[in-house]
Amino acid sequence: MTSVAPGTPLYVHLPFCVRKCSYCDFYSVVAEGQDIDGVLDALLHELRLRAPERPRTVFLGGGTPSFFSVDQLARFFDELERCTGFRTASEEVTVECNPESLDADKARALFELGANRLSIGVQSLRPEILELFDRPHRVEDSWVAWEAARAAGFQRLSLDVIYAVPGQDLAQWERDVATLLAHGPRHVSAYNLAFEEGTRFTRWLAEGRLEALPEELELAFFESTRRLLAEAGLEAYEVSNFALTGHECRHNLNYWANGDYVGIGPSAASKLGRTRFGNARSLSSWRAAVAGASSGLASPDWSETLTPPKSLGETWWLGLRTRRGVSAHAARATAEWSGSDANDPALALARELAAQGWLTQQPAGGWTLTERGLPVADAIARRFLDVEESVRAPVEARE
Amino acid sequence: MDPKFIRNFSIIAHIDHGKSTLADRMLEACQAVEKREMRAQVLDDMDLERERGITIKAHAVTIWFEKEGVRYQLNLIDTPGHVDFNYEVEKSLQACEGALLLVDASQGVEAQTVANAYLAVEADLEIIPVLNKIDLPHARPDEIAEEIEHSIGIDATDALHVSAKTGAGVQKVLEAIVDRIPPPTGNPEAPLRALIFDAVYDEFRGIIVYLRVVDGRLAKRHRVEMMGTGKMYEAVEIGRFTPQMKPTDELTAGDVGYFISNIKRLGDVRIGDTMVIHKGPKVEMLPGYKPPSHMVFADFYPTNSGDFENLREALETLSLSDSSFSFEPVTSEALGFGFRCGFLGLLHMEIIQQRLEREHDMDMIQTAPTVTYRVETKSGEQREIHSPGQLPSADQYEHLYEPIARATILIPSEFIGPVMQIANDHRGIYVRQEYLSTTRVQLVYDVPLAEIIYDFYDKLKSATRGYGTLNYEISGYKADNLVKLRILVNGSEVDALSSIVHSEQADPRGRAAIKKLRKEIPRHLFEIPLQAAVGGRIIARENIAALRKDVTAKCYGGDITRKRKLLEKQKEGKRRMRQVGSVEIPQSAFLAVLGDREGSK
Repeated sequence: MTSVAPGTPLYVHLPFCVRKCSYCDFYSVVAEGQDIDGVLDALLHELRLRAPERPRTVFLGGGTPSFFSVDQLARFFDELERCTGFRTASEEVTVECNPESLDADKARALFELGANRLSIGVQSLRPEILELFDRPHRVEDSWVAWEAARAAGFQRLSLDVIYAVPGQDLAQWERDVATLLAHGPRHVSAYNLAFEEGTRFTRWLAEGRLEALPEELELAFFESTRRLLAEAGLEAYEVSNFALTGHECRHNLNYWANGDYVGIGPSAASKLGRTRFGNARSLSSWRAAVAGASSGLASPDWSETLTPPKSLGETWWLGLRTRRGVSAHAARATAEWSGSDANDPALALARELAAQGWLTQQPAGGWTLTERGLPVADAIARRFLDVEESVRAPVEARE
Repeated sequence: MDPKFIRNFSIIAHIDHGKSTLADRMLEACQAVEKREMRAQVLDDMDLERERGITIKAHAVTIWFEKEGVRYQLNLIDTPGHVDFNYEVEKSLQACEGALLLVDASQGVEAQTVANAYLAVEADLEIIPVLNKIDLPHARPDEIAEEIEHSIGIDATDALHVSAKTGAGVQKVLEAIVDRIPPPTGNPEAPLRALIFDAVYDEFRGIIVYLRVVDGRLAKRHRVEMMGTGKMYEAVEIGRFTPQMKPTDELTAGDVGYFISNIKRLGDVRIGDTMVIHKGPKVEMLPGYKPPSHMVFADFYPTNSGDFENLREALETLSLSDSSFSFEPVTSEALGFGFRCGFLGLLHMEIIQQRLEREHDMDMIQTAPTVTYRVETKSGEQREIHSPGQLPSADQYEHLYEPIARATILIPSEFIGPVMQIANDHRGIYVRQEYLSTTRVQLVYDVPLAEIIYDFYDKLKSATRGYGTLNYEISGYKADNLVKLRILVNGSEVDALSSIVHSEQADPRGRAAIKKLRKEIPRHLFEIPLQAAVGGRIIARENIAALRKDVTAKCYGGDITRKRKLLEKQKEGKRRMRQVGSVEIPQSAFLAVLGDREGSK
């Protein structure tokens, strides 16, 4: 496996939750009855095996990282420091928190242990929606957690919310956005609800217990959210992410730039050069794999090779989700695609789509989706992912 | 073996009436197949046959039966039951002296059974009526026997009663075969004459020729000649089907068996040909078969246009094991290079399509099937039209003729009203009706073949809750007021979606096709107008709205591979799409002009 360059961003997946939310498809385990300290030991073991030195950014996701106790978090961060020296090296250390498990003590502990950014899972300001989501917190808990985080000294805070929920009223959502903004967040992640495979929500949809909002209404939510947040200075720097200038999540920007990263914990994925690989989405399989790897690197549950044509399509797909966009030259470098503007199939496609009004080229040279293109980013992404085949086909024909 | 101890027979039955089960029981009764080797329906060895419970190719099996201390060789030549494969039935029957007419004692006679029984009567075979499923509580043996007498005109008073499921009565059937079916009449001492009644392709052994020795003897190492093709072969291996192929040293007059001689291509063997000894005495050729006529045509295009040569290879390989379909290269403006294929019927078409996909891993776009029209141009020239695209413009021709099928429909009498309505809706012309018993009726209509292909059979099935059966044969061509129904997608005509319809049906069919297309073609980034037109007149129009919102909300590091696969899964669906102009049209849409049936399988 590729050796890990110092500075490579680090993601750690902390899989426990109080309970499983009805829409969520991230890998998580209901904590009750689980060997939490055993899992923490395994995480620390994997850190020692695989964590990069001096990661530029660190992101603790889940699950619910804030579910861990202050002592457990201390064990984690101290070991992370020994392995990586993140406290001096990392410019951004984010922890995902849920309102029910972020109190003043924990917020202070996280700050002191080396975190400098929290993302708080507010999800909704409507009690009935929180109930539908089966969230373990109430609306007011979110603001208690928010104040606790501020009081602990966090300058960089994000609020996570979900919109376009079955039955949701657009005007009411617009008032909720105003309430969010009144608390002065410098970063908001606002997601159009997605019906993910294997979730209760998707089952309810199939059973007719839920009805997705019509496409036109979803589009209205999407556009209204962008407009309201932009008016408050929080420009969309990605499809679902909004921030004041300078407050973007750098860790996530690296994903959309198709950069390298190391993921630790069950279900976590890593990308190193031309390989993307991941750990098992199962506590027992992941623990067995980590325990079995006494030296060197744990054996991944899955991996795939990102050939230059595949990587080129991915780089455009991911980059077009952002306001920064894609530079054809940089995308070729990221994908290790040897070629020039003259024979770059992705660039040719970008020009074709620009002529149709879906893409535009910024004065600095980067390609971005237009306001019209953004809501249909996936349809456009599929065209870029096709680049792989259009490149491969003539090669096969020659054989 | 003395021919008087040989009986050659086949079983005529409708699907589900228990033919394969009866054959299994007979094989068991004679211990031709060890119990532990017995799998259900030992005769149906092609995956598709087993799956669909139908017989496509003829099969043969030899069993040994002892009666009153004498050992008889019974050769069962299995026949397909479906109307599309009448050609195969005819081949099999000519190798027999008798046939079991197997009828479900609760369901009664079906149209295809009648048709095949007629073939047996014409071939002068001894027919033994057998009533199956006699153990079922709703069995009506007397009534069904009456139906057999009325529909086929043979005496059914001493019809045998069996339950192929339990094995009851099977012994009686075996005895009747010996007692009632005449032994073959050939002369073992005469020069060799063997009828080739089938041939199959085997990847490892080349062509396996199925033959019936009519006169003389065929021994291993004999050098033989095919009278029709003039080709010469050596009998590398000969044998019987038990049902596994079992080599033997000699086959004599009356025997049914196989012949292997390193023949590479099915095209080298002509079904119905006569095999004789090379440079032997002059003999008269056996009566052969008329070649199959293709009634249904459809185009196959590779989904990936680069696969044209692969598709050609696949069709060539498939034609080694099925010589009854034709193919020739064709070009479509919309779909590029492909092949126009001719089939015996709709089921045959489906089977070829599925075999191409399964056995040759071909991804194809298939156009809606069409019948063969005849056009008489203004200059008096007559031409065959195998696709709507070949039709000259309306001012270029005088008359357009379509094939007419004489359709025989057997239904429970309570459904007469609805079925007559369906026949009228499909431009059927009443010929006659006949009560086979108090509860079953035979209706005869002349129906344009194009209507049968459109959705006549599906409609018949649903109107009769599955009880109605249909058989048809082409009775001639008739001129009618036919027009080309053009389909325009995003403003351009797509030749592969056009069809030829009766002018009075153009409006409803055009509307139906457009409606279906609207469902089948996925939304694009732009609005797609769909139109149906006759000449320059637009008769139906709908729009496929543009895609408005299609964007993944969450996409982070742990998700990238999964999300990409999701995007690609939607892309996977596109494998079976063809780009026509700027619109991607899925395979299922090309069958949209085919009425109310499932578009995709």
